[in-house]
Order: sequence, then C-alpha cells, then structure tokens
Amino acid sequence: MTPRPAPSDTVRYLSFDAESRLFLRLRATLAWETLRSMLADSRLRLTLVAVLSGLFWAALYGLFVEAFTFLDALHAGVISLLFNAFFSSLMIMLVFSTGILMYGGMYCSTEARLLLTLPARPEMIYAHKFREAIWFSTWGFVLLGSPMLAAYGVARGAAWPYFVLMLPFMLAFVVIPASLGGICCMVLVAWMPRLRVHALSLGVTAACVVAIWLGWSMFSHTRIDTMSAAWFERTFATLAVTEQKLLPSWWLSSGLLEAARTQRDGSLSLPALAEALKFLALLVANGMMLQLLAGWVARLAYRRGYSALAGEVPARRRRPLGSFDRFLGGAGFATGRPLRLLIVKDLRLFRRDISQWSQFLIFFGLLGLYFVNLRSFNYNNAYASMIGYLNLAVVGLILSTFTTRFVYPMISLEGRRFWILGLLPVHRDQIVWSKFLFSFVGGLLPCCSLMLLSDCMLGLSWWMIAQHELCCLMLCMGLSGIAVGLGARMPDLRESSPAKISSGFGGTLSLVISSLFIMLVVVVAAVPTHLFLLASTLGPAFSAPEGLLAWAAGPWAAVLSLVVVAALGAVATVVPLWLGLRSFRRLEA
Amino acid sequence: MIEFDHVTRTYGPKTAVSDLTLAIPRGELFALLGPNGAGKTTTIRMLVGLLHPTRGAIRVCGHDLVKDPGAAHLHLGYVPDEPCLYDKLTGREFLWFIADMFGMPRRLAGERVDREIEHFELGEFADDLAESYSLGMKQRLVFASSLLHDPDVLILDEPMVGLDPRSVRIVKDLLEARTREGMTVFMSTHTLAMAEEMADRVGIMVRGQLRFLGTIAELREQMALESTTLERLYLELTAPRGSGP
Repeated sequence: MTPRPAPSDTVRYLSFDAESRLFLRLRATLAWETLRSMLADSRLRLTLVAVLSGLFWAALYGLFVEAFTFLDALHAGVISLLFNAFFSSLMIMLVFSTGILMYGGMYCSTEARLLLTLPARPEMIYAHKFREAIWFSTWGFVLLGSPMLAAYGVARGAAWPYFVLMLPFMLAFVVIPASLGGICCMVLVAWMPRLRVHALSLGVTAACVVAIWLGWSMFSHTRIDTMSAAWFERTFATLAVTEQKLLPSWWLSSGLLEAARTQRDGSLSLPALAEALKFLALLVANGMMLQLLAGWVARLAYRRGYSALAGEVPARRRRPLGSFDRFLGGAGFATGRPLRLLIVKDLRLFRRDISQWSQFLIFFGLLGLYFVNLRSFNYNNAYASMIGYLNLAVVGLILSTFTTRFVYPMISLEGRRFWILGLLPVHRDQIVWSKFLFSFVGGLLPCCSLMLLSDCMLGLSWWMIAQHELCCLMLCMGLSGIAVGLGARMPDLRESSPAKISSGFGGTLSLVISSLFIMLVVVVAAVPTHLFLLASTLGPAFSAPEGLLAWAAGPWAAVLSLVVVAALGAVATVVPLWLGLRSFRRLEA
Repeated sequence: MIEFDHVTRTYGPKTAVSDLTLAIPRGELFALLGPNGAGKTTTIRMLVGLLHPTRGAIRVCGHDLVKDPGAAHLHLGYVPDEPCLYDKLTGREFLWFIADMFGMPRRLAGERVDREIEHFELGEFADDLAESYSLGMKQRLVFASSLLHDPDVLILDEPMVGLDPRSVRIVKDLLEARTREGMTVFMSTHTLAMAEEMADRVGIMVRGQLRFLGTIAELREQMALESTTLERLYLELTAPRGSGP
C-alpha cells in the first residue's frame, strides 16, 4: 500500500471570503447561462415578458400620476398613509413569499442535497439560496412599487436625489422582510418540523383575517357614503395602524417622503435629504443585522432542520374522494370508460399536487373576495356593465394563466408514461379529449360561479347575467381547446418539468393566443351592450353615434355580438383541437 | 477511517437503522447489501451528513459528522444514487466548482480536473451544459467530481446505475487502484456479483439490523453452504422469517 498524502496537503477548509466569492461566482455563472439559454430558446417569451412588464409599468405609472395629483391637492397627509398601508402589506407578503421560496430552495432542492455533502458552511448555503429567493421577491416588488414612487416624485416635483434614492430604498427594505422569512423558515423546520404546516396556515389565516378586517371596516355600512368625507376619515383611522414607527415600512415611507421634499422654490432641500439618508441607513443597518442573525440561525439550525425534515414520516392520508372517483370512473357507457378513467387519473394528480390547487384557490379566492366587495359601490347601469365585462376579462386572463401553466404541459408530461398509455386499449384521441374535458369542466365551475357572484353584487339584470355566463362558457371552452390543442400539436415528451414546458415557445404561443381570444370575446360582447346601456341610461344627453356605431348601439347588435362570441368560442376550440388530434395521432413516442 | 458507534436512526415510530456498530479500516472496500427498505440508504445518508443519527455517533477520519461536519466532509467523496448536478454548468465548470469548494490550489485543481476528465472519458462533452447529458454521462461526471480531491473515504450509493459496461469497467479498475493506495470505499449495492468481485468485506442489513458482517468466505462458512453462490447465501439471509430462499 503506497502512502497517501494527508488531505491537508491538497484540500483545505475555505475562508469565509473565499467561500462567499465562490458562491457568488457560481450564482453569476448560473444566471448568465440561464439568460443565454433564454435568449437562445425563449426569445418570444422573453420579449413578451419585457413588453407586458413595460406596458404594465406604464399603465400603473399613468394611473398613479393622476391619483397623486388629485390626492396631493386634497390632503398631503393622505400620501403618507397610503405609502404606509401599501408597504406594510407588501412587507407581510414578502415575509411569507421569501419564507416559502427559502423552504423550497434549502430543504427540497437537489442542489441543497449536493451542497450539504460538501465542505460548505451552512450559513453560506443559506446566503446562496437567499440571493436566489430575494431576486424573485425584489422583481415583483420593484415592478409594483417603482411606478407608484416614480409617479409620486413627478406629481410632487421632487428633486433628482429622490429618483436616485428610490431603488436603494426599495432594495434595502426588501432585505428585512426577506431575512425574516428566511429565519422563520429555518426555525420552524428545525425546531417545529411537524408544526410548520400549521404555523404557515396560522400565519396565512392571520394575514387574511387582518386583510378582511381592514376591507370590512373600510367598506361596511358605506353603501350611502362611499368616497364621502366621513368615509375617508374612517378609512384613514383604520389605516393608521400601519403607521407604527417600529415598522420598516414606516422607515421606508418616511425616508421616501423626506427625499421628495423640496424647498418652497422647488429646489433641493438638504435637511430633508439628510433625514432621508438617515432612514436609508436605518433600513440598511437593520437589513445587515438580520442577515447576521440569519447566518447564525443557519449555522445552528440548517443541518439539524434538514435532517429532522428528512426523518418525518408522511402521515397515511385518507382519500375521502375515492368514492367520487369510483363513481366517475364507473358511471356512463362502457365505451367512454377509458376516457373517464383518464379524467379520474388527472383529477387525482391535481388534488395531490399542492402547487396546482393552492394557486387555483389563491387566485380565484382573491377574485371572489374582490367580487364580494363590489356591493360597496353604487353604479349606474352602464358603469356596472362595464365593470362586469372587465371582471369577465380578469376571470378569463386568470384562467388562461392556469390553462397555459398546468393544462398545456399535460400531454407532454404523458411522454414519460407513454409506454403505459401506448400499451393500454386507449385510443390516442381519448387522451386528448380527456385533457380537454378535464380542463373545460374544471374551469367552467369556478369561472361561471365567480361571474354570477360578480354580476349579482353589481346588481346586473338577468339578461346581462345570461350574456356573461355565455361568454364565460365560450372562454372556458376556447381556452381549454387552445391549451390542449397546442399542447398536443407541440409536445415536448423529453421534458419532465411542467414549468419548463409551459415557458417554451408552444406555451408562450398558447398564452398569446389565449390573451387575444379573451380580448376579442370581451370587446365583441361588451361594445354593443355598453353603447346600448349608455343610450338608455343617459337618454337625450347621450350624443347619438352615426354609421356602424349607431347600429352597434341598437338592441339587435347585442344579440348578434353573442352569436359572434359563440362562433369565436367554437373556432378557438375546434381548430387547435383538430390540429392537436391530427398531430398526436401521428406522433412517434 | 469510518466508525459507526451504536448508531440508531428512527423515522417516527419506525426504526430504519438499529444500533449499528461498525468500523471500516483504511484501504478497505466495504459493500453493504440488503433488500429494499433494509436501511442502506439511511446509513449512507447519515454517513454523508444529510441525516443525523437519533442515537450514537458516526466518525470519518476521527471527525464526528454531527459535531464537525465540515472537517469530516474534507475527507469524503460521495456518489449518490441520483446524480445531483447544475444543469446550467458545463461538466468542466462543475468539476472546477467542486475543486474550489475543497480549497484546492489552482494548479493542482487544473491537473486534477484534466486527470478525471481523462479517466472517465469526459473530454468530448466536458464543455457542454450538463442539461444535455444522458444519465450515464451525468453519473460519470459525479464520479469524477467525487474523486477530484483524492478523498480518504469514498461513499457510493448504487454506483453502477446508468453506467454502460465500459464505464463500469473504468469504475471498477479505478476503485481497485484507489483502495490499493489506501482509500476506503463504502458502497451500497444490489449487484451481488460486484460485491463478490470487489468487496473485502460485506455487511448484510435486514430491517435496520446488520445480520452479517465479514468476508464472503466467512459468510459461506457461517451458512455452512460451502459450494453455493453469494446470491443463494444472500437470499437465505434476507428471506422473510418463515419462508425459504
């Protein structure tokens, strides 16, 4: 046996700085390679994201400029209250979102498993995963917050330092709730692994209760005096709870307000700027302190938590919906049984995949909450109808994100199981039809219920409700047809990640076509109805249009628009499905 | 080199590994055998520091894996049953990352990266992103990364999964050469032929307990089945109580 050199001769424990640099280099390389492959493979999606983000930013900016010009003239103190309410809400959301992201990154990823078997310090692995999580958190926060802050600066006539300091303020702020989220995540997993689901549920419930309480206290008993001085007064009193001086959101709001403050002649106010910098320093110092604390917690808790989590035994779950599945699989004619069994299989997968149903529940739940509050405002007929159509568009857009994200990849995901399906006595058409029916029925129930809720809250007539329900039916049918048809036309049978499949060219195309289809349906249905209602509401005050518009304002135009909507729905369903079925029949797995 | 000192690991009410005491000296190739659910993967995961023992201690080169995981990991190389790689790094970048993580001097790291690329015949695709690799290519890259720092202890969990016959031969030759140089290998496997061919000692684990520990010859002696194959002995030992092989 030849002597081996001691490990200390060839390997050594890295210093903090060297390890930190190594992880930074790794992050930079991964980011660069990801960007490069996105530019090479997903140009359409990247362009779409950039253009839509730009449009979203510009729309928000315009809205906020108008709002701030109005509010600044009304009462300058309102702005501080609004900033505090906005940032404190975002702060709570950031704690939860970063906590969840950190949980996924630190405890459920294969990368974490690799790093924990290397001589890497736990606090460095935490910092590495934190950088990943904070990128996602910051992106959304900046996209939402920056148009508002830029609009405020413009409306207020702020000097240049305000615009320069805007981004550093936002970044320094994000670190605080994100670190808190990371710390909570590690503590919960290490010391309360069995309690983490309960703790998370409790936290989310508490946040929802606070949100509902705020909403309720603002809008209850306000059918008569909404937007009146008394209503504003009561709302301000309720929101004052967010103006606690110990909250980082208050430091951020105060710092930004100080930075925007100018002298009477509109020139830069140095004392105000110094005050703003103090608030920025406060945010930075607290962020750094929390990072140190998070590093210390990681050192104590990360490996221990990882081990504790891996040692958990999944509870043997009861399957309460088993009898429903059996009923669905067994009911009906024998010839349709394979189709029904495929639907039951997809239903089971959907129920057992928390990422699918939780997103479904959150988005449609929030929409439901908003619709319930619609009663608080008083509208005339034409205005209510317009809001109803906007709600229809929102329901359609949310459904389209689900059909693109979850339904479009369904056929591709069967690729790995193709040998099972290929050996079964199932016609390929039945696989495609089962996905379509699953998506159509699954989307129809929540969407039609939500539209009914929205219309009832808006006090719309039965004619309008029927019209919206028909549009909803066509949207569900068309969106399912587009997602399933294109999914079958352009399957990626080698990819196992649904996120990657939906973010490819086919998924992006499905999203674009879906959005165009929604816009078409809503515009075709809304314009004649809206014109007709305007004419009947305003009476002689309505300046009568001429030509095509005059005809569009007539009662027959509304009926014809529904025929067109039905035709659009049929085309959006039949054409992609036909293309998909034809292509899927020829597919060689 | 590896010491299990009365190690027990439980998952809720279930005991996955029960009071395991085992010492593996330098230069030995040890194969852990056992049916599915016997506790092999739990043992391996404790040995690489992913799981902490519920009771007892594990030491690698004298370093306790719970109290001083960093020092223990400097001596360890690990090849998991499923290769963990960064999809957006090339094979070469991944090897450099691992070399840097072990704090190897640049020149030495460069030499070792080239050496392992040559050993595992990775040259053709070393500069492609790992996302384009097949399972076998990924497994070869993981092998290469685990040997970069010439670890004192190499831990292999089902190492031959996904490897073609040529790669299997490369790995076998390499393991033989490295154990001759003093590297200790702890391997979990279902491939009895490989254990028979390569292992100095085998351990047979059944329902969390080490049912047998020794050489193949000792196993034959113990079972009083002089002429039989390892497969037959293994089935005899691991058969559920009350049933034959």
